[in-house]
Amino acid sequence: MSTKNRIGVVIGAVLILVWCLLPVAWIISLSFKSQEAITTGSPGFLPRDGGGAGWQNYSDVIADDQFRRAIFNSIGISLIATLLSVIIATLAAYAIARLEFKGKKFVLTTALIIAMFPVVALVGPLFDMWRTFGIYDTWLGLIIPYMSFTLPLAIWTLSAFFREIPWEMEQAAQVDGATSWQAFRKVIVPLAAPGVFTAAILTFFFAWNDFVFGISLTSTEAARPIPAALSFFVGNDPFNRPASLLAAGAVVSTIPIIVIVLLFQRKIVAGLTSGAVKG
Amino acid sequence: MGSPMRSGSRRRRTGVAVAALALCSSMLAACSGDDSGKATLNWYINPDGQETLNKLADDCSTDDYDIEIQLLPASATDQRTQLARRLAAEDSSTDLMSLDPVFVPEFANAGWLAPFEGDLADEVVDDDVLEGAADTVMWEDEVVAAPQWANTQVLWYRKSLAEAAGLDPEQPWTWDQVIEAAAENGGTVGVQANRYEAYVVWINAMIMGAGGQMLEDTEAGRDAKVTIDTEAGAEAARIIAKLADSPAAQADLTVSNEGTSLGQMFPEEGPGEFMVNWTFVYKNYEGQVDQFDDLGWARYPATVEGEESRPPIGGIDIGVGAYSENLEWAQQAAVCVTSPEAQSQLAVNEGLMPSRGSVYDSDELKEAYPADLLELFRNSIDGGGPRPKSAFYSQISSAVQSVWHSPDSVSEDTPGRSESFLNDVLDGKRLL
Amino acid sequence: MTSTVVAPDSKKDRRKTAQMSDRSKAEERLGQKLVLPAIALMLLVTAFPMLRAIYLSVFNYSLTAPDDREFVGAQNYITALTDPLFWETTLNTVFIMVVTVAVELVIGFIFAMVMHRVIFARGVIRTSILIPYGIITVVSGFAWQFAFSNSNGFVNEWLPFLDNSFNWFGEYGSAIAAIMVSEIWKTTPFMSLLLLAGLAQVSEDMLEAAKVDGATWWQRLWKVVLPNMRSAIMVAVLFRALDAYRIFDNIFVMTAGAQGTESVSFLTYRQVIEQFQLGIGSALSVLLFLSVLVIAGLIVKIFRVDLAAARQEG
Repeated sequence: MSTKNRIGVVIGAVLILVWCLLPVAWIISLSFKSQEAITTGSPGFLPRDGGGAGWQNYSDVIADDQFRRAIFNSIGISLIATLLSVIIATLAAYAIARLEFKGKKFVLTTALIIAMFPVVALVGPLFDMWRTFGIYDTWLGLIIPYMSFTLPLAIWTLSAFFREIPWEMEQAAQVDGATSWQAFRKVIVPLAAPGVFTAAILTFFFAWNDFVFGISLTSTEAARPIPAALSFFVGNDPFNRPASLLAAGAVVSTIPIIVIVLLFQRKIVAGLTSGAVKG
Repeated sequence: MGSPMRSGSRRRRTGVAVAALALCSSMLAACSGDDSGKATLNWYINPDGQETLNKLADDCSTDDYDIEIQLLPASATDQRTQLARRLAAEDSSTDLMSLDPVFVPEFANAGWLAPFEGDLADEVVDDDVLEGAADTVMWEDEVVAAPQWANTQVLWYRKSLAEAAGLDPEQPWTWDQVIEAAAENGGTVGVQANRYEAYVVWINAMIMGAGGQMLEDTEAGRDAKVTIDTEAGAEAARIIAKLADSPAAQADLTVSNEGTSLGQMFPEEGPGEFMVNWTFVYKNYEGQVDQFDDLGWARYPATVEGEESRPPIGGIDIGVGAYSENLEWAQQAAVCVTSPEAQSQLAVNEGLMPSRGSVYDSDELKEAYPADLLELFRNSIDGGGPRPKSAFYSQISSAVQSVWHSPDSVSEDTPGRSESFLNDVLDGKRLL
Repeated sequence: MTSTVVAPDSKKDRRKTAQMSDRSKAEERLGQKLVLPAIALMLLVTAFPMLRAIYLSVFNYSLTAPDDREFVGAQNYITALTDPLFWETTLNTVFIMVVTVAVELVIGFIFAMVMHRVIFARGVIRTSILIPYGIITVVSGFAWQFAFSNSNGFVNEWLPFLDNSFNWFGEYGSAIAAIMVSEIWKTTPFMSLLLLAGLAQVSEDMLEAAKVDGATWWQRLWKVVLPNMRSAIMVAVLFRALDAYRIFDNIFVMTAGAQGTESVSFLTYRQVIEQFQLGIGSALSVLLFLSVLVIAGLIVKIFRVDLAAARQEG
């Protein structure tokens, strides 16, 4: 690489870091501005002298029942949806990657159409259906759509991973005297696990991010997830949108994402790129 | 090879634990109602005065039932959407709800509110209830909700600014005077002009202040007569355009709400503002700012000189869900949370004004508010100009917002466009 | 083994059917059984509601007056299609889609090149690029809304040519720009990761050969790199374009549709969820779905990508 290129890459790398992290830094900084300063107006990136709030906004937001409840809902709903979606997707992806059967193309096409589906077009009829079934404003009422909409991504990611597994090894193990269950458990599961895990992370991100279903299919804190709760968030002063309090809530809701990204960066990148590219 | 397997099984265990937790929590919720033998009444409140409302919920709980508070979103539109969706789903757990008066007709018309009957109706709306407030809970000759508190807007201002502008506090002020006074003295005028409900509040108050109204014959529902393209409508448009063009407009005029202009009253630099805003403002500044003594109040500005202004009317009515499993108890509770004592607490602690006349005379209130301010509030509610009482109010409001926003686009054709658009919307000929 | 198993080849299927053995019959049954739950779930939440939307769309039906429901035929569609508001929001949505995807493509490609070449701090860069990807869109919307706010933001202060009191949400141009910034910030990482995967496919040998032949950097980019990652680019554009066309969260949070910034999704949401006009709202839902199909069809046609193949086989 020439020096010119190298400088270009370094500048590019710095640009990426600024691009990605500046807004995050901003929302963190905003979360430390005091609510009084926000009311009178406190422009600027950093809290001004005397306009800082310390950890006040965080303790306020954590003390807020609605917010705590929303976090609980989001974690619960997202985890259950992820778990179920990945199980179902694993079955389907295994069939797609390993078996010959009629209807495979139908599955892939359906998945594709659903991945492109305009979610808003569904919420009206879904609301109508859910209230008939009595699952409006419940965890289940959100888990079902989350599963359906994460299945395409999970199926793609998993089938891409599964195609890379040397399935012959299973037979080889059986020849060596392992039962087929043992062969599956000792050979295939460890090879498939990273793929399943990756699909799970991507599914979780989707469920955690969802807003349209979250505001349309809930109406109380019984099931309202974080994004909807943030958009409806009410501080102590109902007439004044609590920007810095909201920012603290936003930061709290981002912590799980950052933790997951820090821990599993490689797997997520692999998962996002696996569908598009061979290998 | 070992480690992915181990983490795999740990994951599985976590998953099971979460699923189990979810089951437990839903079962717990199902059980708690049956086990204790005590019913739970859900009360959906809007966020004003949460602390006192929580206390009222406790105080009004009895041996038969506990009142539990559920918080609704901040904006009136979102509050309506959340409640209406529950009621459309015929939800039996919506027992009590705090309703913005403008949505009462719509809910009553849809059959979502259980009317108060007989003695109960007389108790909820007796002679003590201010007329403006009592009117909001009547629909087709039935009492469909109980007035809990009444809100109104007055003109809040800095005495020093008004003095510098030479405004006479003994005379009623007009919008023109206020805007000019602010502009000439480096001050600003605070209004609510974001694309949301309170912008309609402002427009409606100005139209009514000029002797007009947005619609006539609103009981006719979709066939109501739209009367925005009138002299009164033109006056309202003129004032909005005047403010938008004036240096007195605040920088965030097009996204302004009840909160954004609060900070402009006592800014670090500059003489402050004139601001039309609800009654909560007094408690909001009291004890919070050094120059509190400089805060003045006056009746809502007049649209035309010589004609008395019609201040906005708001507040909260308590409705009882038609599908509630504990209708009688819920209505009992509604009476309790709207009692004179309850209203007095809301006024003293939260700055939410009573809908009952007698409460204004109570000692607690007299202690908490200057006498002239109390009288101003009461007169404003008495002489207030309510928004159209229609089962289609939310469409009306949305249609008005979409033509009149943003305020800096308002011109002399705005009333005409607004009228024809609103007619089309009511006829179902246009999208909102 | 990969390609033979996956590519659904109709000719081969037919041959197979002819000589179907018991074993392959069993395989077929197993395969269908395994995909059944996935298919059922996907259809329950999409096909069924969509059919219901089509049904409701021929009624005048408001949730607040359910008893007044009446059959109106195609009237709802006529109302929607003759309403200038519908076309304004469609135009606005297409505008958002074109601008954001174009900008993301350029920035995403630059990011992908950097990530491809960079030798130091790889993990740090990839970790940080995943943060916007993972962050909740609503949070991104709030962050940028406050950043552009003239009372509590920093953008006005940082931009020397702007007055500090400039109200970004006061007019269409600047409001839509703010919305697009949030959208672009949040989704560029997705784009750049897909493009990165495409870059990895371009063979170094070909690049070397081109270099030996004296091709400039620019020529190599256009003649070797881009043509070789065509399918990755197409997949990225297709998915992002359809995603951008459905934009909702950012608009809801940042302007709530004020100043003409409404998207088709937002318009539909308002009729259905806010105004409870299930009849005309359903008609809009159907139109929204159709327009997504049209856009997908157009992109596929223009770039002649085999969708399943692109996604499955690269």
